[in-house]
Parts: sequence; C-alpha cells; structure tokens
Amino acid sequence: MSTTDDNIERENELQGIGCSRKRKEDPRFIQGKGNYVDDIKLSGMLHAEIVRSPYAHARIVSIDKSEALALPGVHAVLTADDLKPLSLHWMPTLAGDVQAVLADEKVHFQMQEVAVVIADDRYIAADGAQLVHVEYEELPALVDPHKAMNSDAPILREDLVGKMDGAHSKRLHDNHIFTWDVGDKDSTDRAFDDADITVKEDMFYQRVHPCPIETCGCVADFDKINSKLTVNVTSQAPHIVRTVVSMLSGIPESKVRVISPDIGGGFGNKVPIYPGYVVAIVASIVLGRPVKWIESRIENLTTTGFARDYHMTGELAADKDGQIKGLRVNVLADHGAFDSCADPTKFPAGMFHICTGSYDIPNAYARVDGVYTNKAPGGVAYRCSFRVTEAVYVIERMMDVLAQKLNIDKAEIRLRNFVKPEQFPYNTALGANLDSGDYHTALNKVLDAVDYKGLLIEQQEKRANGELMGIGIVTFTEIVGAGPTKSCDILGVGMFDSAEIRIHPTGSAIARMGSITQGQGHQTTFAQIIATELGISSEDIQIEEGDTDTAPYGLGTYGSRTTPVAAAATALAARKIKAKASKIAAHLLEVSTDDLEWDIDRFKVRGVPGQEKTMKDIAFAAYNNLPEGMEPGLESIDYYDPPEFTYPFGAYLCVVDICKHTGETTVRRFYALDDCGTRINPMIIEGQIHGGLTEGFAVAMGQELSFDEKGNIQGNSLMDYFLPTMVETPHWETDYTVTPSPHHPLGAKGVAESPHVGSIPAFTAAVVDSFSHLGVTHMNMPHSAFNVWQKCNELGIDQHK
Amino acid sequence: MKVELNKVFEINGSVENTWVFLQNISSVASCMPGAEITEQVDDNNYKGKVKANIGPVTMAFNGDIKIIKIDPSKKLLHFIGKGQDTKGTSVAEMDLTAKVCTKKDGKTELVGTAIVNVSGKIANFGGRMMEQVADQILDQFGERFANNIVAMGGDAAAKEAAKILDKQPKELNGLAFAWSIFIGFFKKLFS
Amino acid sequence: MKKIAVSFKLNGQQVDTLVEPRELLIHTLREQLMQTGSHIGCETSHCGACTVDFNGDSVKSCTLLTVQAEGAEVLTVEGLAGDDGLHPVQEAFMEEHGLQCGFCTPGMLMRSYRFLQENPNPSEEEIRMEMSGNLCRCTGYQNIVKAVQYASNKLQTTKGDA
Repeated sequence: MSTTDDNIERENELQGIGCSRKRKEDPRFIQGKGNYVDDIKLSGMLHAEIVRSPYAHARIVSIDKSEALALPGVHAVLTADDLKPLSLHWMPTLAGDVQAVLADEKVHFQMQEVAVVIADDRYIAADGAQLVHVEYEELPALVDPHKAMNSDAPILREDLVGKMDGAHSKRLHDNHIFTWDVGDKDSTDRAFDDADITVKEDMFYQRVHPCPIETCGCVADFDKINSKLTVNVTSQAPHIVRTVVSMLSGIPESKVRVISPDIGGGFGNKVPIYPGYVVAIVASIVLGRPVKWIESRIENLTTTGFARDYHMTGELAADKDGQIKGLRVNVLADHGAFDSCADPTKFPAGMFHICTGSYDIPNAYARVDGVYTNKAPGGVAYRCSFRVTEAVYVIERMMDVLAQKLNIDKAEIRLRNFVKPEQFPYNTALGANLDSGDYHTALNKVLDAVDYKGLLIEQQEKRANGELMGIGIVTFTEIVGAGPTKSCDILGVGMFDSAEIRIHPTGSAIARMGSITQGQGHQTTFAQIIATELGISSEDIQIEEGDTDTAPYGLGTYGSRTTPVAAAATALAARKIKAKASKIAAHLLEVSTDDLEWDIDRFKVRGVPGQEKTMKDIAFAAYNNLPEGMEPGLESIDYYDPPEFTYPFGAYLCVVDICKHTGETTVRRFYALDDCGTRINPMIIEGQIHGGLTEGFAVAMGQELSFDEKGNIQGNSLMDYFLPTMVETPHWETDYTVTPSPHHPLGAKGVAESPHVGSIPAFTAAVVDSFSHLGVTHMNMPHSAFNVWQKCNELGIDQHK
Repeated sequence: MKVELNKVFEINGSVENTWVFLQNISSVASCMPGAEITEQVDDNNYKGKVKANIGPVTMAFNGDIKIIKIDPSKKLLHFIGKGQDTKGTSVAEMDLTAKVCTKKDGKTELVGTAIVNVSGKIANFGGRMMEQVADQILDQFGERFANNIVAMGGDAAAKEAAKILDKQPKELNGLAFAWSIFIGFFKKLFS
Repeated sequence: MKKIAVSFKLNGQQVDTLVEPRELLIHTLREQLMQTGSHIGCETSHCGACTVDFNGDSVKSCTLLTVQAEGAEVLTVEGLAGDDGLHPVQEAFMEEHGLQCGFCTPGMLMRSYRFLQENPNPSEEEIRMEMSGNLCRCTGYQNIVKAVQYASNKLQTTKGDA
C-alpha cells in the first residue's frame, strides 16, 4: 500500500473534520429512545397547569381558588400572593428588566400566567385550572407601538412609573424602554445632505415565533433529604438556568443540578427562563415532590419568546453610479409588556449594528427605540443571531430600493459596493470588525450557477406577456459567535465557552462542552474535531452536554455561537492534550520533542521510518509510563474567550412566479451559497441549511402573530400559524465557498442561522421584483396569496380581460 | 374584537304586543338559542347563562345583564350583557339597543343595533367567524322573537307559531349553525 | 370519572389499561405504557408527531380516545425494529440524514412505514403529499424525502415483509 493510500485510509478511519459521517445521535432517535423532558416520569411526580388571563390589560380584582382546591387530586393552587414571601412573584429578565412570574395585581398581556394548579395528573390539573375563578377589571390595551409614547397612552408598567433610568438608557416615557444608537449621526446626516441621490423605505418585520415541534417544559425535583434541586428543562443554556435558579431560590449552585436532556428543536425559543419553570420549581420545593410542567402549543405560541416585531425605516445616500455614501436606519421595537429580550446585556438591539451588511459604507447611523405594549415579552429568537435577521433585512431591501431608483441591476449594485477581499479585516462604520470574506466570488458563483443573464432575459419576455416573475438576490454578512467577554455577557456572566476532554488508557475518549445541542449534531461534530486534532476515531469519542453537574460552565447554544466559541475551546483543549502527548511520545521514543512530527494519528521521528507512536500508544503510557516529574492522565480543559466575533456570509438567489389572479407565489428555484469558513460535517451543514431556508420560507410567505385593538392575539395555534408541510416547501439547492476566519483555531465561523437570516429578504426581494416594473419598491411580509393578490388588485392586473 | 350589527326584523303583530314582549327580559332571553335568565337581582339587573359551540371553541357564559334604559315613549330598550365563560378563557359583552317601530305601511318592525365585544379564546380562534356568527345568532333570535309575537295574537297563526317555538332546540347547535353560516356565506356571494 | 378497562395489542404484546373515557391514546401510550417514542407537538392534530399505526392505518394518536383502541393492533416506533435489526425506514433516515432533533422522527417513521406499504414505489410528489400530515422544523424535508426513497428502494430489493 502506498503512503498516500495509507494516509487516506487512516484519515477515513478517523472520520474527522470535513467528513460527512453519519450521526452518532441517530440510533436512539430512530428507535424512539430519545430522552426529552416530557418523557421523564419520576415517582410521585405531579403535574402543573397554568391559569391564564383572557385579557391583554386588566386589574386582578380577586382570585377564588376554593373550588379548585376542593377537587380531589389537586394538591396546591399558587398565585402571586403565595410567591411574595419568597420574593419570587417577580423575576429578573435577561434584558435588565423584571417579569411577573404570576401576575401581581394586574395582567399585562393576553394569556399571562395568573395562577398554577398542581395535581396528580395532567387531566386533573386541567380540570382544576378551569375551577380557579379570577375576576378582572378590564383596562384599555396598548397594542400599537407607534402610540406607546403618546401623552394619553395607557401606562402599562405601574411598577416602573417614575423610574426614568432604564437598564440601557434614560426612559423618555413610562412606556419607553430604551434608546440605543450607534454610528456617527452628524457625518451621516451630512452624507445625506450632500448625496446625488437618497432613498427611503418603511418596512415592518412582523412578529413571528420559532415554534419548534417540542414545546417548552420542565420537571423540577426537590430532594428534601439531600436538599438538592434537580431540574430537567428544555433549555439552550442550562448553566445560566442553574445560576439564575440558585440566585432566585437561595439554594447554592452546588446543590442545584440543571439537565437539558434531548431537546426537540430550540431556535431561540428555549433560551429564556419562563414563569412555568419557576412555578414548577417552587411547587416542588413546597410540596417535596417532583413537579412537571409542559406547555401546550397555544401557550407556546402566545406566551413564550416571540421574534422580530421591528418597525424599520431604512435610508441610503449614494452617488449616481450607485456608490453608497451613507446609511441611516431608525427602528421602533415592540418588546411586549416586559423586556425579556434575550440579548447580551450591553446590546439591547442585539447585533443590529451589522446593518451595513457586506458593503463598504463610509457613513452610517442606526437608532432603535424599544417600547412596551400589551403583548407577550420577547423579541430575540428564531435563528436571528441577535437581531441580525432584522439588520440584514433592512440593508438588503434598501439595496434593491436604491437599485430600482437608479435603474441599476440588483446584482451589479452589490458588486459595486462590496467590501473588497483586500480590505479585510474591515472595520465597518458601525463598529463591526469583519474578519474575512470574499463577497464577489460568492455572488458571481451563484449568478453563474443559475444563469442569471438567462433569467433576466426570461423575465423581460414574461413581463412583455403580462406575467409576473421575480428574481431576488441577497448577499448577507452575519455577525455570530457571541462573544468576547469584554463586551458580551448574559446577566454578568461573560460569554466564553468551554470544553473538557479526557482520553482513557485504551485510547477512547470522553469530552464535555458548555454548549447544548437541539438537533445540530454536536455529539457527532465535536467528536470529529477531536478526531482530527488527536488522531482518535470520532467513533471512539463520547460527547456529552447539558448536565451542569458534569459539563464545564458554558453559555449554551444559540446565535450560531457553538462553532465559533465552544468548538474553538474544543480544539484548544485538544491541543493542550497533544502538547502533553508529544512529550510522552518523545519519552517513549527516547528523542526530543523537536525531533517529532505529527502525521494524522501518530507522532513520527523525523527521518527515521518506523519510529512512531500512535495516540493510542500514548494514551496507555499516560497512565503508567511517564517522563520524570510528569503527572499521570491525559486530559485537559479549555475556557475560550473569543477575541472577536466571526462573520459568516452568503449569496442567495430566489426565483418566483406569481399568479396575478390569485396572488399565489411559486418558488421556482432557490440557490443558497454559504461561507461559514472551515466545514466540519458538510452533511450536517447542508441539513441545517435546508431547515433554515424552510423556516425562512415560512416567515416570508405566511407567518404572523397579530393582535386586534384589544390585544387579542390572532393566529396562535397551528390552525392558523403557518408551518410549511412537505407539499409547500420548495426544493433547495445549496453551495458553498470556504473563507476561513483568521482568528479561529479551526478557521470555522458558525453556520445555520444564515439560511434564515438570508432567505427571508431573498423571498421578499423576489416577490417585490415581480412587481418592480410596475413601480413597486417594497411589500411587507407575509407574502401570503391574499396579501400578494391585494397588490395585484391594487395595480389593476388581477382580472381576466 | 368588536363587531357591530344592525338588524331589522319584520314582526307580524301589533306594536303594543311587541313592546310588551320586549320589556319581559326573561322572554326576550328565551329567544336567544341556548340562553336563559337565571336570576333577577333588581329592577334593572339580571343574571343569565348562554351556552354556545362556535367553531373549535365551546363556551358556557355566565353573565350579568344591566338595563340602561327603557323608554316607553320611544318604545326603546337598551341593555348591556356581559359575561365570562365558565372556564375563564373567554369574555363577551353585548351592547344592544332595540326599538319597536311602525313602518310606513303600518307593519311593525323591531330595529336593533348590537355592538359585540369579545376577548380571550373566542377572539383568538373565532375572530374571523365573529361577524357571521353574531349575524346568525341574531337572525335566529329575530325569528323566535317574531314567532313569539305572532303566538301572542291568539288566532290560528298564533297556534302555528306556538308549535314552531315548542320545537326549537334549547341549545345553539354548533354543527347546524356552522352549516347555516357556510350556506349563508355562499348565498352572499351570489346575491 | 369512572375508569374503563381497555385491552389492545401494542407492538405485538397484549396490554391491559384502565382509563377515563376522555383519556387520549397518546397519553396512555406515553404515561401508562411507558412508550415515550410517540411525541406530542400540538393539540390541534396538525403536527403528526404522535402518528402510530392503528389497525393498518396511520393515525394521529392525539385524536383518538384510548377507549377506541379496544381490541386494536397498534404499532409504535418502538416496535419497528425486528430481531434482525432496524426496519429499512429507520436505516434510511439515518443514511440520508433525515432527522436532526429527532422529535418529529417517530411520527415520520410510522407514517412512511405505512405509506410505503400503501404505495411501494412513490414519486417525490406522492411522498410529499402523503406525508404532509407530519411537520418538521429542522430538516426542511428534503432529506426526509430522500430517506423515504431510500427505504422504498431497500424494501423493493429485499422484498422483505415490512
């Protein structure tokens, strides 16, 4: 066998980085042996059901628990009054605000938690909840965020009246939460004053919800004998939950164990700490029995962290060749009744400053004003990378608006304005430090692959024939990998992440990380990283996450941060082991470490064939044959504080055909090129791209959670909330380029929110492009058949002649 | 969620009989399918119950009815009915003004304006159906009301009317109801 | 509410349960019979995570009362694998990366199990139409379609009794 064949065979054995190996977690899922929170059944376990307000804004006049308590099988009915002595009726949010656990004297949004019934089983708990009689005094609801700061607006947060120093800025009104801005306002205003051309467009990014197939829930189990609290919970950040629970309950962290078992999809929905978790924990402590709380789908859609609800005005200033001179963005952010937006503390508008996009924009200014309304709290969720969805939406829409104004091709205007490869690392006008990128190559690759010129010709022909066909192009840059602890923290805990690796004497290994998979395949991908770093087959590397008793402290998995942060920690932890291993190898081979070179899975003595030690040999030696003075064992831990964010990017192109009589849009083609730097498992990346594109399709084409004038939420069940089935979902074409991140140990940037971030403006761009020859510059989502038909009707083109 | 409906019912009977009937709150309530008055608190306040299955939402409302105005000179009744369903998930309020009028040709008509406000589950899931549902409820109400007036007449027509009233279902039947809404919707398209 | 005795066959074994008339089959399967493979994803019969095989039909067990299962033959994901290993649909989902978080997977498997018996050689359009009762948020369905095609090929070549 030749050396090359031998190398290939050894590489294949490892199934390391770059290999589309099958997933290690699949065997249990395909046999129905996953372990999700609702699968857990403990001896003596009780069930919790929450009583919720039908009103969006009301005073609680009285709560009568007597009938519920009289029902056989009901053990307790808790209200805010029961939580007051423990100071748990309110809890801190991730955004520096407080949130009611159980409504205290008034309710602020429809279906807010008012009481909780604890009973023997879920049926009795549901019966009990119907027997809790709450008397309300209705108050006028504030539903339109544009009216939140009117002088006659109803005051929502009576608990904050007079407190004008908000967590993020001064508050200008009782319903105002914060004003956040970034960039140079004066230079940007001047750029607009001096520009040849300016464009402006209002756009609404509607309220939607991630809706993973598994809803949120927990099983809280307080062991009275050992004074230990164990909480199995659907959480994307179990260590944060442990720290918060410890702080709220007074139980030391050493006696709190939080376990995120298998999670049925997160998408940001499972980052916040919900009242349901808190009341289940309290009930368990009070009753000394395990308590399970699992929400229904309607509860999930109505009360858990929503996404978006950004009213944006974008403006671009440019010269007549379409070279951008300035960007200005103003946003009204509807945060709901409590600010529980899951952002790093210092970023109340998340990473919105990425709104300069992939472009070389010399002057920029963005401002976001957050307000309270009588709606459920949230804002950051649903594969948004902390408001990157909103930022990319506004810049990509404005590029098209500018292109249309100047009659420049939408791909061409982007090519003219892209940051050039030689400009990296590039500091944007809003303070983002783009690490690497090659936007021209990515876009040109996509344009060639779809025969863009041919599509344009076809579009001209169709338009001449009165048909509607649209081509949408989006070239996005994301900011992920939160983040450097000097700027990023969650409730004061810096956003590092961690990995711990231990090699056993016979050469297999176990590793634990501070991240937590919800379907991203961490059990496989982390094993692949360690396999390549240490020359052990990924098949022999056990990956564990989610149990705070064993996993090193991490900030969890969301915002595409796992690869940039936890995977970096994994690589560095592996390299620490490799450094020790080289010393052991040198000892075994009786050479100096300088004489050694690493070759796939072994150390070789340079120039002396046959003199080599595999990692397996070294592992055994680590426990019984060590150099003088060296400690036994072969393990390490790394806590990685990223020096910078990472900036994955992509180019997406969408082709739609619209029936002008019905408004029905068919996605004829969707070509998605992603650059996430080094690709660990291409199969797993592609699968998540498909998923993200499908979720993007759902948002752009049909999802919305709206409210009537009284704050009654509309469409909060799967009867109305659009989850695409296999029938509607388009066929996806994926492609990639690889532009590694210069500061990441593996050159990897993180992936899989990008398809959601990038596809939503692409669908909108395509739909709007279908009408651009008729003067349409923007259409708000969702682009349901009815909404699109309304545009056709407005333009007078929907009727048969 | 607010719905405003204006209805005119032709009554085959005298203005006097109609006005007399209209002031009898219990009798008026009985014209609403699934509704009944359970208690008279005082001259102007009553307690009542309404059962309804509308779409996916089942409700049993317990409510209060407050007479705002009874004007014999104008033959006008104005009341507000407000209730919460027994599960606590829906609330509804109806502000109803009913007036007995004489048409130009001497016939009697009952003219009503109802403003219905709902919140909670019924508004979440029944929202799109609200206007048609309220419309149908009032149609059924009007039919029964009209039959009641005829039955007061004491003649052969009255006996017929009495028979029809006897056979009326006591509860609002969701399925039959949904079907009548469905048919009504299509009828409107082609009318 | 008085409980009723209900007996049926679950994955080839006789089971006896005691349930209230209003108890849903999905709850009995998961909580009394400890077969937690079938999942709950909604309460309006849309998501299909609770799909089981019931007397030879794909049925959403959240929309069936346990009392309706008297004397029935029920197959859940736990009963798919045989003595000689995984069922072809299970192997297919793993080979084609047809799952990510795994929550919708049991429903997908049970539906494709029955569907491929109804239609052993389906077109892509038929697969998408016939499995539209099962929702997924992670995969975008593309690899699930490939998995069903893989299983269809495997079942036809091995001509095994599915």
